[in-house]
Amino acid sequence: MKMIELAFLNDTFGTMLAIMPEIMLIIGALSIPGLFYFTKNKNMCATAALIAIILSGVFAGCVILDSTLSCTFMNIFKLDMFAAVMIFLFLIVAFLTVLASFASSELSNHVSEYYSLLLIATTGMLFVASANNLLVIFVGVECTSILSYALVALKKNDPRSSEAAVKYLIIGGISSGLVLYGISMLYGLTGSIDIAKIAHGLENMENLNAPFVIAVISLIAGYGFKISAVPFHMWAPDAYEGAATPVSMFLSTGSKKMGFVVLFKIFIVMFAVEQSVYAVEEMRYIFAFIATITMTIGNIVAILQKNIKRMLAYSSIAQAGYILIALAVMSEYAVTGGIFHMITHVFMKGGAFIVVGALIAAGIKENISDYKGLAKRAPIVAFAMLLFLFSLAGIPPLAGFASKFVLFSSAIVIDGVVRTQWMWLAIIAIINSAISLYYYAKVVKVMYIDSGECNEKIVIKKSHLVAILLCMVFVVAIGVYPEPIIKFCEGASGILFGKC
Amino acid sequence: MLDYSWLVPVIPVACFVFVGLFCKKKPQIGGYIAITGAALSCILASIISYEYLTSGYYSSNKAFTMAIEWIKIGGFSINFGIYIDGLSCIMMLFASFISTMIFVYSLGYMHDQGEKKRRYYAEVSLFLTGMLGLVISSNYLEMFIFWEIMGLCSYLLIGFWSFDHPEAKEKSSAAKKAFLVTRMGDVCLIGGLFILLWVFKSLDYNALFAPDAIKAVTNNEYGVQLVTIASFLIFGGVIGKSAQFPLHDWLPDAMAGPTTVSALIHAATMVKAGVYLTARSFPLFVYNSHMGEQVLLFIGVIGGFTAIFAASQALNNMNIKKVLAFSTLSQLGYMILALGAGGYLMCVGIKNGNEGLIALGASGYIAGVFHMLNHAFFKGLLFLCSGSVIHSTGTEDMRLMGGLIRKMPVTSITMLLGSLSIAGFPLFSGFWSKDMVLEAAFGPFEEGFGFGSVFCVLFLLGLITAFMTAFYMFRMWFMTFVGEPRENAQHCHGESPLSMSVPLIVLSIFAVYSGILILFGLGYVINESLISSGINVEKYSSDNIVMTIFSNQWTYISIALALIGIFIAYLMYDKKEINPGILNKNGKSFVYRLLADRYHFPQIYDHTSWGLGYGVARVVNYFDRNVVDGTVNGLSNAIVESGKIMRKMQSGFVRDYARYIIIGVIVLVSTLFLMFLTGGFQCQ
Repeated sequence: MKMIELAFLNDTFGTMLAIMPEIMLIIGALSIPGLFYFTKNKNMCATAALIAIILSGVFAGCVILDSTLSCTFMNIFKLDMFAAVMIFLFLIVAFLTVLASFASSELSNHVSEYYSLLLIATTGMLFVASANNLLVIFVGVECTSILSYALVALKKNDPRSSEAAVKYLIIGGISSGLVLYGISMLYGLTGSIDIAKIAHGLENMENLNAPFVIAVISLIAGYGFKISAVPFHMWAPDAYEGAATPVSMFLSTGSKKMGFVVLFKIFIVMFAVEQSVYAVEEMRYIFAFIATITMTIGNIVAILQKNIKRMLAYSSIAQAGYILIALAVMSEYAVTGGIFHMITHVFMKGGAFIVVGALIAAGIKENISDYKGLAKRAPIVAFAMLLFLFSLAGIPPLAGFASKFVLFSSAIVIDGVVRTQWMWLAIIAIINSAISLYYYAKVVKVMYIDSGECNEKIVIKKSHLVAILLCMVFVVAIGVYPEPIIKFCEGASGILFGKC
Repeated sequence: MLDYSWLVPVIPVACFVFVGLFCKKKPQIGGYIAITGAALSCILASIISYEYLTSGYYSSNKAFTMAIEWIKIGGFSINFGIYIDGLSCIMMLFASFISTMIFVYSLGYMHDQGEKKRRYYAEVSLFLTGMLGLVISSNYLEMFIFWEIMGLCSYLLIGFWSFDHPEAKEKSSAAKKAFLVTRMGDVCLIGGLFILLWVFKSLDYNALFAPDAIKAVTNNEYGVQLVTIASFLIFGGVIGKSAQFPLHDWLPDAMAGPTTVSALIHAATMVKAGVYLTARSFPLFVYNSHMGEQVLLFIGVIGGFTAIFAASQALNNMNIKKVLAFSTLSQLGYMILALGAGGYLMCVGIKNGNEGLIALGASGYIAGVFHMLNHAFFKGLLFLCSGSVIHSTGTEDMRLMGGLIRKMPVTSITMLLGSLSIAGFPLFSGFWSKDMVLEAAFGPFEEGFGFGSVFCVLFLLGLITAFMTAFYMFRMWFMTFVGEPRENAQHCHGESPLSMSVPLIVLSIFAVYSGILILFGLGYVINESLISSGINVEKYSSDNIVMTIFSNQWTYISIALALIGIFIAYLMYDKKEINPGILNKNGKSFVYRLLADRYHFPQIYDHTSWGLGYGVARVVNYFDRNVVDGTVNGLSNAIVESGKIMRKMQSGFVRDYARYIIIGVIVLVSTLFLMFLTGGFQCQ
């Protein structure tokens, strides 16, 4: 896709263009502590972080608008349409997180460290998005993971935070071990850590191959931890509940997406693109199986939650189950749907977390029952929450409907023909959507119908309001006119399937 | 500028948002914003019309279309776009112009409404958006969206006085009635759209109206049936929206809203949408060479019957607004009749390849659209006049008025002009179009086709309607403006303020002269929209239209009937030489009661909807309580219980978490092993 002519960027930066977004973030991350040391101004740090993110976003945006710019840096990082769209997504997440952190009451005094950690964690995601080598992907994921353990632990005055961080760390360690084990197995099998070459190596395999089975399952389990797929999900509710709300939001919308990027990169390239017919169907059924239990368990357990952050965590797990449909179907259209749902999920889930954070900053607790009468006390925020929750449930004309529609329909219509193979998956997903409406609507009911004891207006901080309105605009705009975003997603998934 | 046509409906919607959100403190400002918005739309519409009519699109017989892809799922896409041709130019011009006048008038009429004005101006702006968007839509789905916006606004505005008003209950039930009755039509319409989408794989006018597309679809029995059913269903939507028999009875009740709203509904928006839709769907009807005649015959019959059926109920109504409402119904019937008869001829002409018949059919189409335009002006004027009367006398009952000509000279003169126009007094606007309508209805009989005799009956009914129209309009005028001032008329405030009387004067000029436009190429423009939608008609010429009209004996007969009607009204209600009480046995005669009871239609509606609705509701309720609730409760209990079990797995101990991960890996690995060993999924 070429919308504007930006070839001069190639001349200026050469192959460095491929890592310019990361460089911008690193510069930002390194300068923030110094800035804080000299100015002692919290807002200054946040602003610096925002500027770094925006600069980085400019580069990613240029590649999205002119995909002829895509280039490779040292055979490791390839900034193409897919990478650019994902980078942009991660940067939006980081942007919203910083906006939500501005006025957050949950962060302790380590402001400069917080923003630094956040930016470097984002950088790790960016590396993952553009890497095409299993080891680099592993390093990128670790970079993000290790920093997010610290981010979760940052809410020092709350014991839940430290507990969550320790759990997260231990489970994360097990997962990293599994991933490394899987990578080493693959290396042993094919003699390469480059994804495309691994795919080639798999071409000649036949029948049962125990090392291969162990390798792929280890990879799925290791990265399944990142996307919080059942049964590797158990850390997520604890971590989201314990962490400061902006961090929960970062984990749920950003770090989870990173897991998906890795899975897309490895499994789509390995199985669908290089025509390596070996074990494709088996892998699809494995993913379909994980998708089914993930969305079902996520939704059913979410019903019983009383804490809104835990509820959102389980809903996040369920959404991961929906996106896994893309990996089960493995068609270009399905991956388009998956990427599209990842994008809309950022705005709706992110928006919901920001609302929770804004309310915590305004003195409202985290239990759903604390939201009684919210519609009267904070009409704008309550309405925003209603939009986000309905969008998560997939009610038109909101963004969640559009993306779920594309995603679910991809399981029914494959290559323009109605196929029965994955129809059961679409039906399960739709039933799950119906179940999920129950717990989303319950929150809306508490906000709008139940009356609370207190009727004072709630004052929401400006930066929170800006972030909420931003998410609201996107949730509605994407829902009403999804076509441009779908175009970008199509471009991105086309790259994965080897089209330029 | 043509590329910016989308601004025409966007300006009023912006006003809607602005007035609705920001005019809480100063609702009066809202009025000026709404007027500015409507006026801007009107100016823009004029510029766009001018540009279209002088552009290459027009001279090469093409409509201007532009669309963006709204949503695309797989191979199926829905567009959002604009479609400008002669018909949409005319529609958007008169809709925006009359709305502007009505909004100006509202400044005076609604001035004592206080905070409610915000709601009023916001809603009327949205109403206008609905109409303007509808006429420039480029596909049926988009059209339907705006169609529904109008439905919503009509509900809100008819029920404007549903709160804090002595008759709040009746007002709100009138609003509900309007909404529910038109809904019947809407359901038909969307059903028709589904069929069209299924058959044509698209709802774009461009795709649907291509003669080849319709022929390709109707080349087998199945396709013919589907298209025919879709045509009937679309016309069902028209019956609801344009209040044709048998879904007509919401319109008289809709008088519950403020008079300006009635003017808006009757002149500029809402009911005109149905006529527009019929005209817009013309290619769909006429190219259906197997069943199209039946569809169009049905359209003509419904129109002709509604015309006389509604006119008869206006004969003895005492409410000034309801007389006008019935007259709208009857005039709408005229328009539908002309479209039906014209379409019938055209359909036959296309089937037999007879160009003369096609041209004759086109003149029916022109008559229908032309009458819609004229009706918009004089009905807008009449409603605003009646509003002016109501405003200063405080009643709608004509028995309490009388002799107002001395106190309200402007209102009475302008209303006289409007009445002359609608009665078809020679050279007034109604005269031209009504004559064309009658001529169109007579066409099929003259040509002597299978159903020609049916159209002959419709034509005769139309003539009788013309007589009735003249009579009831002048009955209303005489009762209101001449004779002894009765109760309320005695303490009338005098002439209405300037903001109300100026729009009256402006509209009366149009109401008198808009008919002359037919001599200056209006027919050509309307005809062109047929050509641009793919129908092969010769260009319309207005050269000898005067000759045709005045050399036709029926013209003189209809003029005579109108004059007789006026004269009888004069004798009865001014000179009092004939006592109406003798004719109707002082209101006890069967016919009089029947008319006054509106042929018992309100009761029929109540009975059907009560019987049908309540019966269905009881069955559904039973099903809902026992089957659906049972299933849902059972299921939800199961889900909650299983959720409790699963929540127990989340023990909080990290060792359990790790254990589940390992178990998960083992399960997955063994599943994969099993799959390989059974060999079930080798590549297909």
